[in-house]
Amino acid sequence: MNYRKYKIILPLFLSVFIVIALVLYYNNRMQQKQIKVIYVSKNADTSDFWSALVAGANMAVKEYELDFTIMAPEEEEDYKRQNELIYEAITKNPDAIVLSPGDYEKTLEAAKEITNNDIRLVLVDSLLKEDVADCVITTNNEKAGEIMGKYARELCGENIVVGVVSHVKGSSTAIEREKGVSDVLNISANLEDVVYSDSQYRKAYEVTKGLMEKSPNINVLICLNEYSTVGAARVIHDMGLDKKVKIIGFDNSLEEIKFLEQGVIDGIVIQKPFDMGYLGIVCAVKLVKGELVEKEMDSGAKLITKENIYTEENQKLLFPFWRE
Amino acid sequence: MTKSIQKTILICYFTLFLTALFFFLIISLKYTEKSIIHNSTEYTKQLTQQVNSNIDYYITYMEDTTKMIANSIDVKNYLFQTESKEARAAQYARILGQFKTIMNSRADIRNVAVISDDGQNVINRGTSWLNPYIDITEHIWHQEVQAGDKEFVLSSSHVQNVIAERYDWVITLSRALYRADSDEAEGICFIDLNYNTIDDLCQNVSLGDKGYIYVLDDKGGIIYHPQQQLLYSNLKAEVIDRVIEEEKNGSSFVEGKRNSRRVYTMSKSEKTGWTVVGVSYMSELMKEKNHAKMLYLFIVLVLLLATGIVTVWLSRAITSPIKELIKSMQEVEKGNFNNVEIENMKQNEIGALSKSYNIMIREIQNLMEQNLKEQRQKRKAEMKAFQSQINPHLIYNTLDSIIWMAESGKHNNKVVLMTSSLAKLLRRSIGNEEEMVSIRKELDYTETYLVIQSMRYQDKLEFDIQVVPQILDQVIVKFTLQPLVENAIYHGIKYKEGKGIVKIRGWRQEDEIVLQVIDNGRGMEPEERDHVLDKRKKTPKSNGVGVYNVHNRLQLYYGKEYGLIYESEIGIGTTVTIRIPREEVEYYEL
Repeated sequence: MNYRKYKIILPLFLSVFIVIALVLYYNNRMQQKQIKVIYVSKNADTSDFWSALVAGANMAVKEYELDFTIMAPEEEEDYKRQNELIYEAITKNPDAIVLSPGDYEKTLEAAKEITNNDIRLVLVDSLLKEDVADCVITTNNEKAGEIMGKYARELCGENIVVGVVSHVKGSSTAIEREKGVSDVLNISANLEDVVYSDSQYRKAYEVTKGLMEKSPNINVLICLNEYSTVGAARVIHDMGLDKKVKIIGFDNSLEEIKFLEQGVIDGIVIQKPFDMGYLGIVCAVKLVKGELVEKEMDSGAKLITKENIYTEENQKLLFPFWRE
Repeated sequence: MTKSIQKTILICYFTLFLTALFFFLIISLKYTEKSIIHNSTEYTKQLTQQVNSNIDYYITYMEDTTKMIANSIDVKNYLFQTESKEARAAQYARILGQFKTIMNSRADIRNVAVISDDGQNVINRGTSWLNPYIDITEHIWHQEVQAGDKEFVLSSSHVQNVIAERYDWVITLSRALYRADSDEAEGICFIDLNYNTIDDLCQNVSLGDKGYIYVLDDKGGIIYHPQQQLLYSNLKAEVIDRVIEEEKNGSSFVEGKRNSRRVYTMSKSEKTGWTVVGVSYMSELMKEKNHAKMLYLFIVLVLLLATGIVTVWLSRAITSPIKELIKSMQEVEKGNFNNVEIENMKQNEIGALSKSYNIMIREIQNLMEQNLKEQRQKRKAEMKAFQSQINPHLIYNTLDSIIWMAESGKHNNKVVLMTSSLAKLLRRSIGNEEEMVSIRKELDYTETYLVIQSMRYQDKLEFDIQVVPQILDQVIVKFTLQPLVENAIYHGIKYKEGKGIVKIRGWRQEDEIVLQVIDNGRGMEPEERDHVLDKRKKTPKSNGVGVYNVHNRLQLYYGKEYGLIYESEIGIGTTVTIRIPREEVEYYEL
């Protein structure tokens, strides 16, 4: 008799369907599982740069529906506090940590701890001394320096005498930007002098003033961050050298734009912090999902001159409307 | 491989049902998806229209306000007439008063300004001034106003750099200013709408967690897009061309693949020429579809279970009576007619079949019984015929012998014996109607016959009967031995020179009883012997009841494996062996 066969066939059909149903159900569940990402920032300030970066990150967070937390020390130089935050972030057991390291060397130990705990590590904005991150998203500072150098050459031609107002001596961004500038200008002798503003407006003003007094034949100042740029522009404006000395600045602020409109500053190279933040989170998500990502990504830099401030695209970069 | 009906039914049903359920699932899901998209499109359309009408409201306000300002005598006089300082101051104060009212009443108005081509201006509350580094005529909206094609010009979203120190994101509505007595545009009036107003409006629209709306101006430029930065950086792409194309058809469309499938729904404002686009993610809309999917699957499971049960029940209902029939038929095949009738029949085709089967079985049974009866009657008739066929010659000859002996007067004893033997023989052969007799009786009868014959052929015939007593009470078909003995005498001993002996032997051999009639007569040729049992052959000298008759009756009664066996040799004699089963045979009384 075949009864036994039916007793096999019937549960077989049923179990097949139950399996399908379960698979569907869990598939659904899996897709809904949230990825947890923590962003450990350099500082909690609300400057354009960091606001844009966080806005970019939030854009990605919304897109991927992430469980997202931002942790930041009160001040930028406070790498100790940042290290504490990193350890705290690790205890929350996220899938990935996006980090803007506060210090090239002193953040390294904490960063290593992240990867040791099998958490994906994405660096944005700044680098670490050792290659510990799964993915790095920064402005290619050397390239940015090259853009500035090229523009300086374009403005002054062969009679160029360059002064550089850098920011923090020995910092990775300063070194790379300086390298980019000197690479393009090619003749290191033309680099009349390099001074450092230590990321302070007042110091930038003073060292630039000193530089101009020491080397009055400088006809172009290349400034390597926002503090240096604004300080230099102020002093050049005050000294009445607007026409004689060209200024090429870095990063973006309202004051810089005003100087740019006035013609005191002749060009600024801006980073794309929004893209940086966005890409940082996207990379983190991709890493968690096990997708391939480029190890190093350039979020891009762009030269802004008086003529193209108000193009549709540049307006968005220069005047983020989350200002208010 | 042979398939049983039950299996066939099961497989057919399951295949049919699975296919049906599969299509049900597909169609339901397709329909669900369609209706979800339709609903969401409708919903989004309403939302985008809502956004559009909100924008229209702001724009209308700006349009009306600029109209009022442009037509104001104070504005025209202040900008274009050279009047006394006092009068100008009064006009300026009145204009400012008007501007203040506007700006105080509307927080979303960022700037209000009138500017003549030669630089006369009134701006906001009088505390703002023009940005000295910006040439207002470079603005596209200014150029369009100057061109004079339109009554008013609406800009896209932009940073307002005309007014110093502000750099607000705004949307500017501007309108040309005319002298009271001229058609030549000699100035401009504009109002800036705070871009945050649009931004908030668009951001507050909820299209799921991922969905969003964006706004395009009449040239396809982006006024608002939540991911504008990403678009400029080429990290994202938006399908602006297709939106503009499809908007003309007034329809919505689906773009993208798999997880990034999105439904685009457009609504264009007549007033501004702006298109508000709602983008909903299919994956979010389809969450409901997934719920539906689970529900449908659950229904399918339940249906499948029900089908399984019903199918098994149904197939059993159909096949079990058939199986019962088969079982019964197998019994009948074995020849067992007892308890084979089908009971518990249903009123259906199988039931009718079973009914007919029952009738057939009964019919067969009747026929077999009838056949048996006829067989018995036939045997009985034969028996009668056989009985009535006792050779009359025997009687005459015996009577002649008696007469001859009586006449000689020497053989009184013999006459008595012979006469009584003849009487006994006749009585037995006519007497009862029994078909079966005991071996004892059969031997007795045969002995009587032999006595008569041995007295007739005094010197020629002797007989010797030796049968084991245990078998004497066994029954045997009547008239078995006597015809064989008669045959032995008439065909064997009669032709022999000298004395003939007929021996009768009987014994038990395992489950059989063996009786032998042995003569030492002439014997038979081999071919004669082989044909002796063949048929009822009537030789002139036989009494008509052939050996065949005996053999046939034995076989009829006991089966083909029993009957007679002839052994014979010319000049030595013939031995007939009767083999019958030993067990007590039922005694038929007919």
